[in-house]
Amino acid sequence: MLDLFDKVNEAVVAIREQWDETPHAGIILGTGLGGLVEQIEVEATLDYEDIPNFPSSTAVSHAGRLVCGKLNGLPVMAMEGRFHMYEGYPLKQITLPVRVFKAMGASLLVVSNACGGMNPNYQCGDIMVIEDHINLMGDNPLIGINDDRLGPRFPDMCEPYEQALVDRALSIARTQDIVAHKGVFVAVAGPNLETRAEYRFLRTIGADVVGMSTVPEVIVAVHCGLRVVGFSIITDMCLPDALKPANVEEIIAIANDTQPRLCKLVAGVLAAESAS
Amino acid sequence: MDANLQEQADAIEAALHAAVQEIRGRTQLVPSVAVILGTGLGGLGAKLQNAVSIPYSDIPGFPQSTALSHAGRLLVGTLESTPVVAMQGRFHLYEGYSIDEIVLPVHVMQALGATTLVVSNASGGVNPQMAGGDILVMKDHINLMYQGNDSVKPSIRTGRTSDPIYSPHLISVALVAARQNGFHAQQGIYVGFTGPNYETRAEYRLVRKIGGDVVGMSTVPEAITANQLGMQVLGLSVVTNVARPDAPATVDAGEVVEVAGIAQPKMESIVRAVLRSLK
Repeated sequence: MLDLFDKVNEAVVAIREQWDETPHAGIILGTGLGGLVEQIEVEATLDYEDIPNFPSSTAVSHAGRLVCGKLNGLPVMAMEGRFHMYEGYPLKQITLPVRVFKAMGASLLVVSNACGGMNPNYQCGDIMVIEDHINLMGDNPLIGINDDRLGPRFPDMCEPYEQALVDRALSIARTQDIVAHKGVFVAVAGPNLETRAEYRFLRTIGADVVGMSTVPEVIVAVHCGLRVVGFSIITDMCLPDALKPANVEEIIAIANDTQPRLCKLVAGVLAAESAS
Repeated sequence: MDANLQEQADAIEAALHAAVQEIRGRTQLVPSVAVILGTGLGGLGAKLQNAVSIPYSDIPGFPQSTALSHAGRLLVGTLESTPVVAMQGRFHLYEGYSIDEIVLPVHVMQALGATTLVVSNASGGVNPQMAGGDILVMKDHINLMYQGNDSVKPSIRTGRTSDPIYSPHLISVALVAARQNGFHAQQGIYVGFTGPNYETRAEYRLVRKIGGDVVGMSTVPEAITANQLGMQVLGLSVVTNVARPDAPATVDAGEVVEVAGIAQPKMESIVRAVLRSLK
């Protein structure tokens, strides 16, 4: 466990050889945010396999690359291709890039995902700004001996997603006429989708949307002291009393359709960062 | 049974046997009560009479204490004229220990002769009727730790017990002791998470909704094992803070320790009353 600190630093050394800048934000390009990379003025691109200790991309269907550069003048690092617990990766490995962002000097983490909407007031294609989360993955990336150089033993979780950033994102959404909610994201391991009974359960315990990612990265971001802003695209509605089989093509089509709006929202949140 | 499981079970039996032998070599006292000195009971160890102290590092199979901030040792002595074995320093899932490692000491204490387990912990309250410094007597628990206690000693695995894990008789003794000593204690449900992060506001609301009164990161594995072994169990929880998800405040680990210190005399009076009742 105490080797994590060295693993992070090995990755940082390798990245610095290609890109010796201090990022303001680290961005995990989940479903529906991939297009943001086109807005980045790319200064360096590293394949995950060339970065020591990054998860190997064999199981990742899409490109596994770290893109470094400027987004509207703001230095950022963006992960193209992310890792999931259901692929069999240990959470410590999945979350290592977040620690690398921090060690490179970033102060903000931007995460996104596609999710199932359980709040009946939501619709497919809506965006939810994550206000809070529930971890039902059955695992935690911080289990093990704590390395105090990386963060505290018992991180507080009363505001994992910075409230001011939630407000800022919602305000930008209103200005740009984008439908956006704020709500609670519950993370499960997957990979199967939920049963109707499970959707009822997740709704009962207070969640608005459900997904299979993001929470491990956010827990580690809080542990290492990064501010966090998170976005979910509702790609299918999971209403247990009128549940239809999930249609992957439809989900992808909705994610693609929503992508420009989410990119606009994220760019807006980050533009205010460079102003502040 | 699966050959691997059998092998694992044999290894654990062997570790149990070696540990018991090592301890018996140092003291002949046969304890009737096992105490896990968690938060709020830490000071009780010093009050054991004629105590023999055995560092965990000397006991075969015990997890090494490298990850423990405090002393890891087993104490065998008497309190309220009752022979007691006490764990000073305990193990948590969030430290990376396996369930087998965490519950091995319970097996050892039972094998030494203990028929009762008293276990304490610190917890965060979600029941708005509670306040920091309160004592919750565990009536039951909800296991959200995603770990079963199945691999240790499969021969005694009962699958499902109809008896409550936490002894109604000892709960009653504890509540009477609190009243007689002039402080408030209440029964309630403890929800076990692995941690190590504290809960989000949404998670506190979840705990409340599913029937929990407090939430913590220990005790459930040890209580399950003690129950499987036929021990009667008393769980005492020091409520160090009450989470109000609608008015969030940060949890300060220092404050948690301070409140636990204030609760210590209450915890001690309950444990002493329980020991007297068992004589």
